[in-house]
Amino acid sequence: MNNFHGVIFAYSASPELRELVSHRTAASMPIFGRYRVIDFALSSLMNAGIHDVGVIMQRDYQSLMDHLRNGKAWDMSRKDGGLRLLPPFGMPGYHSGNYFGTMEALNGVGEYIRDIPQKYVVLLLGSMCANLDLRAAARMHLHSGAPITAICSTTVPDAPQHRYIVGPDGYVKEALFYVEGESRGFTSLEGYIIDKDLLVKMMEECAAKNLYRFHRDAIASYLAGGGKMDVYLHEGYYMPIRSVDLYYRANRDMLDTDKRHDLFCAERPVRTRHHSLVSTYYGEKAVSSNSLVGDNCRIMGTVEDCVLSSEVVVEEGAYLKDCVVMRRTTIGKGARLENVIVDKNCIISSDTALKGNEKLPLVVPKGSRI
Amino acid sequence: MKKSCIAMLLAGGQGSRLYALTQDVAKPSVPFGGKYRIIDFPLSNCANSGIDTVGVLTQYRPLKLNSYIGNGQPWDLDVSDGGVYILPPYLGAHEQGSWFSGTANAIYQNIAFIEMYDPDNVLILSGDHIYKMDYAEMLRVHLDNEAACTIAVQQVSMAEATRMGIMSVDEKDFITEFEEKPKQPKSDLASMGIYIFNWKKLRAALIEDENDPNSSKDFGKNIIPKMLAAGERMLAFRFKGYWRDVGTITSLWDANMDMLSPDLINLFDPDWPISSRSPVCPPHFTSKDARIVHSIVTEGCEIFGEVENSVLSSSCKVGRGAKVLYSVLMPGAVVGDGAVVEYAIVGENTVIGAGAHIGAPPDGTDAWGVATCGPDITIRAGAVVPASAMIYSGEEV
Repeated sequence: MNNFHGVIFAYSASPELRELVSHRTAASMPIFGRYRVIDFALSSLMNAGIHDVGVIMQRDYQSLMDHLRNGKAWDMSRKDGGLRLLPPFGMPGYHSGNYFGTMEALNGVGEYIRDIPQKYVVLLLGSMCANLDLRAAARMHLHSGAPITAICSTTVPDAPQHRYIVGPDGYVKEALFYVEGESRGFTSLEGYIIDKDLLVKMMEECAAKNLYRFHRDAIASYLAGGGKMDVYLHEGYYMPIRSVDLYYRANRDMLDTDKRHDLFCAERPVRTRHHSLVSTYYGEKAVSSNSLVGDNCRIMGTVEDCVLSSEVVVEEGAYLKDCVVMRRTTIGKGARLENVIVDKNCIISSDTALKGNEKLPLVVPKGSRI
Repeated sequence: MKKSCIAMLLAGGQGSRLYALTQDVAKPSVPFGGKYRIIDFPLSNCANSGIDTVGVLTQYRPLKLNSYIGNGQPWDLDVSDGGVYILPPYLGAHEQGSWFSGTANAIYQNIAFIEMYDPDNVLILSGDHIYKMDYAEMLRVHLDNEAACTIAVQQVSMAEATRMGIMSVDEKDFITEFEEKPKQPKSDLASMGIYIFNWKKLRAALIEDENDPNSSKDFGKNIIPKMLAAGERMLAFRFKGYWRDVGTITSLWDANMDMLSPDLINLFDPDWPISSRSPVCPPHFTSKDARIVHSIVTEGCEIFGEVENSVLSSSCKVGRGAKVLYSVLMPGAVVGDGAVVEYAIVGENTVIGAGAHIGAPPDGTDAWGVATCGPDITIRAGAVVPASAMIYSGEEV
């Protein structure tokens, strides 16, 4: 896979992620009790043997950089190439530092993109959860005769999306942008395999016309001009992390053993930064039912239908139901939490009661003391 | 570059008293306590004590150990000047060289490695104990007392003393007498097999011992008594913390059970982390019917049954209606639906068939013991493996 280069977009976070992204970008949100969202894009690239990867970031990226480091966890710490972090203002040329769209973000790191030695570029969102078989997608791209392959899914998430309708010749004949709910065609994962020369050409055209959107501007005009686009259908689990609701739902999806085995399949392991920790201890009165629990937790109370990250303490008599709890949080004795997302480093004191709603979970921001 | 102290870790022994568990691997790479392998303890202690150069002497079935240690990155031992080195026996010119014939001979054969770092002192460690110890503190005491050799010791009961190397000391803790497994112990201070030697003195003693045809080339039996007889300053360094030998099935099981009591050894201590090379797995899953009491569970496990008083390593599976009681499951062990595993150690990737019954609770007789299934075994559905049983890889059960 030496002819492929990865580019991950980690520069934005949907405002509907609210407090969860006040300290971080969507790509570095902790998820599934162990991972960061960007691990899925990185692992998909790694498992396809793609080691040269640029990560475009723009704001609130400290937590992302702390996570990525030199890319070692994904074997992307290489003598040549490997992981490149691409913050704004990192290179000369056209940019405002304010990315209104993907084309503007690409132009912001234009020098990097133009210098990519590989012939093909894989563009992925850092904010989606899917374990992609990019080897198969790349094989398809090499044989399709189209300079762009759109990675799509039959899943219809509860968020605005782009959709592609395939014609009888197997290429995209129609694109629907920003549609909500069920519709025709396939959901775009906003992941593409694209010939580098075409990508650079699109970037130049958009820069010249002051256009900055990837779909509305670059793709629409490419298709309108008769450009060929193939579709690779990803059949496994897919969830875009674009709102608190979708984040909450994704976490709870992993309590379903079939979905979990699908996303964390043995053929394509999902890698993340390694923490050396101890195992989780369950006390004499602990109850853990239908839950995912990370390492180095101490569970003395009751946990039902929850996702707990590492280093969470659930003291005696505490009751957690339908909660997502991030790292280094303590739930005090007798506290009662239902439908709550607790961010990192929180302390919920004894006998506190917090209750959200299944449709609107309560978010306890990072570092809260309640 | 010159180093004040480097460590040499003796990891070549088979650990024959672990039987099936060390059939294919060296003892230091036997999984322990959910997240670890035995060698994580001395390696982490080295890293935490600021000792950044560690030679690991391997001989018996070293493949797993070699790949486990790798470049030493999990212990932060991947440094540019020093680091962790696997040292197997090797041949020199004219086919000179041989297998390590004893602990002292193993160090003797690696004099050239030690000289590369020109250390003032050498720390000798073994890969079969579970403990947290600050070797830097021991080195400080060693240097303050200008000792030729400092031996870490721990107080033991008189009954235990008959099975160990026992030191008698003077009022300043200088060793006056050393006895290997005495019938009538004169002291209750037992050697922990952790030594710091002045390198020049050790080098001379090793060369001298090598030329002694009657020597068994062992630290405890030969080097220490000889240096003591020669009137060298030999100091005892008292260690009071948790320290367990895990060289037998019973002691390995006991020490694993100790991991359920953080009062004995606190592995949650951020100031003294015990690090390991462990695979990245999703958090462990507990189903609606799972019941987990007084146990530790690790990443990647899936629990559909009952777990009580047990230690589960990464990626173990406990099936529906299955029970795991007072047992140790090593990484990737699978307990089939409705099976019972009690007072047992189940090796890596071993599969216990549905409805099988492994082990039994203590019945008060001397014949009772922990049941052990080695790694990579499939126990067929409904099979019964009695207490004290030892199932080897390749056996049909």
